[in-house]
Amino acid sequence: MSPSRRDYLRTPLILILLFAAIGLFPVFFPSPYLIHIGTLIFIWSFITTAWSYMGRFGLVSLGHGAFLGLGAYTSGLLFNYYGLSPWIGMFLGGGVAILFAMLIGYACFRFGVIGDYFALVTLALGEVVALTIIAFRDITGGSLGFTLKSKGTSLLYFQSEHKIHFYYISVAFLILALLVWKWIDRSKMQKALRAIGEDEIAASTLGVGIIRYKMIITSISAFMTAIGAVLYAQYITYLNPHTLSGVPPSLEIAFKAILGGMFSLWGATVGTALIVSLEEYFRVAYGSTFVGFSQIIYGLALVLLIIFLPKGIYGSVQELFKKKKA
Amino acid sequence: MLDLYLNAALNGILLGGVLALLAFGMNLIFGVVKIIHMAYGQCVMLGLYFIYTLVTHLGFPILLACIATLPLMGVVGFGLQVLVINPLLRARANPLTQLLALAGLTIVIENLAQVIWGADLRGINVQLPIISIGSVFLRTSNLIAFFGALLTLWGLYLFLNRTYMGLAIRSIAQDLDSARLMGINPQAIYYLTMVAGGLLTALIAAFFSPIYAVHPHFGGSFTMMAFIIVVLGGMGNLLGGFIGAFIIGIVTSVSAAATSTEIADIVALVIFIAVILVRPQGLLGIRVAK
Repeated sequence: MSPSRRDYLRTPLILILLFAAIGLFPVFFPSPYLIHIGTLIFIWSFITTAWSYMGRFGLVSLGHGAFLGLGAYTSGLLFNYYGLSPWIGMFLGGGVAILFAMLIGYACFRFGVIGDYFALVTLALGEVVALTIIAFRDITGGSLGFTLKSKGTSLLYFQSEHKIHFYYISVAFLILALLVWKWIDRSKMQKALRAIGEDEIAASTLGVGIIRYKMIITSISAFMTAIGAVLYAQYITYLNPHTLSGVPPSLEIAFKAILGGMFSLWGATVGTALIVSLEEYFRVAYGSTFVGFSQIIYGLALVLLIIFLPKGIYGSVQELFKKKKA
Repeated sequence: MLDLYLNAALNGILLGGVLALLAFGMNLIFGVVKIIHMAYGQCVMLGLYFIYTLVTHLGFPILLACIATLPLMGVVGFGLQVLVINPLLRARANPLTQLLALAGLTIVIENLAQVIWGADLRGINVQLPIISIGSVFLRTSNLIAFFGALLTLWGLYLFLNRTYMGLAIRSIAQDLDSARLMGINPQAIYYLTMVAGGLLTALIAAFFSPIYAVHPHFGGSFTMMAFIIVVLGGMGNLLGGFIGAFIIGIVTSVSAAATSTEIADIVALVIFIAVILVRPQGLLGIRVAK
């Protein structure tokens, strides 16, 4: 299984070229529209990659919308009411997400809730957070959401009039998420979690601390997801419970990652890039009434992939190449 | 104040009747085909759209439209078995994969509805009188739905317990291998169950049609509600689901009257999470289907 030395040496060159291309792209194509799409792809790739940290070990969460909502609303409300910079609010939001993740994670892992039951509990949790945000409408603006106050668009408050700033910030975030994936890959945690994912009882008899490792990975995933939500909220400057919590965004995060392939480093990014571009293409080419069409195709592709290619698009292509080599 | 809660509780019971039917369909499919039908509420939504189209665009009388929707939804159930569930069973997908595939299906159904019928609320306009007994007010449409649901459930009970087909369904739910040894063809029973599940969604849609207007995201909350009830009663446990439906109906109705609908939904979801964590076998404590 372990990649050869040549693989290690070769991958970075491709990566350097890829990120150089991404970095230089706005210089050669200064189109605000393309930069906007790029930014969206990077932000959501960051979030879906964070989701895959758990998903790849069989902890399929259908409630990451909960972390989106907690992160974005903690930071956004602190900023609007107390003027706290989102750079700090981001970490507070991440902290709230970790607390929530630990609370519910402990309950789930302690009682051995796994697989489809875990997915359902998390699905319910995402909805609970959305309903809570809507119920406290005096503070949060309810279903209507709220707009972040403008503070002279200073980067100190994580605000900017230039899309390009967000473009580069979100690329940096995405690189961070990919590095964390690599770090997890090389850690002892990865082996333990893989053993747990394959056979929980066998792993526990070998003395693997199931609850501890699952809690750690869930917390990391929750924290990163919350941070990604703050990034998104700062970029859009508007928070709404229906786009930042609840069932639809939760499912979308999971599905983007699954479509690309949640078991590989680039899977979530590939899935996100595909879906965001597809949605944009349909929206631009056929108008907003036909956004439904792109969603239907996406849903059908998803169902087919889940049934026939459980490793996702990127994961399956990767496997094909591996087989050809061998 | 007491009147308010009495009204809420009675309306909760009436709602519980229809919820019981909803949970019955999901339970039956889970018990027999062993699949969590995450798109069940969305199927009810399709039924409501069919009734709407038949009544407003094709000029059907309401009752006839409801009857015509029955075979349509039966076909939908059959189609789901052929197009989604059979491939899943053939690929020997684990429960999580099945769940995700059906969750993906909800995206297809909801967006199909949006493309065909648009994002606006669609409903058939029926004005039924409101009955008042003392300080208690009941909507006739809710009463019809309640008694209709109970009657259907009674019919289903007889079907499952008094007919040969019902016996075959129950035996497949109880022990697939033994049932096969007794010469029952599971595939045929799966088709039968999915068609029956489809017919049930049409009936639920018929009972809902005078109460609700439908929109593309109408189904999600009903899938969730059905699922909460099914888990509360114990997965695959039909009696548990029946009792659970009334508990959830009353609890949500009363807490909505006391606070707000959002809080009521949160209460239901918290019950759901608590049951999965602490008592996954459900209220009655028997797991019929493994």
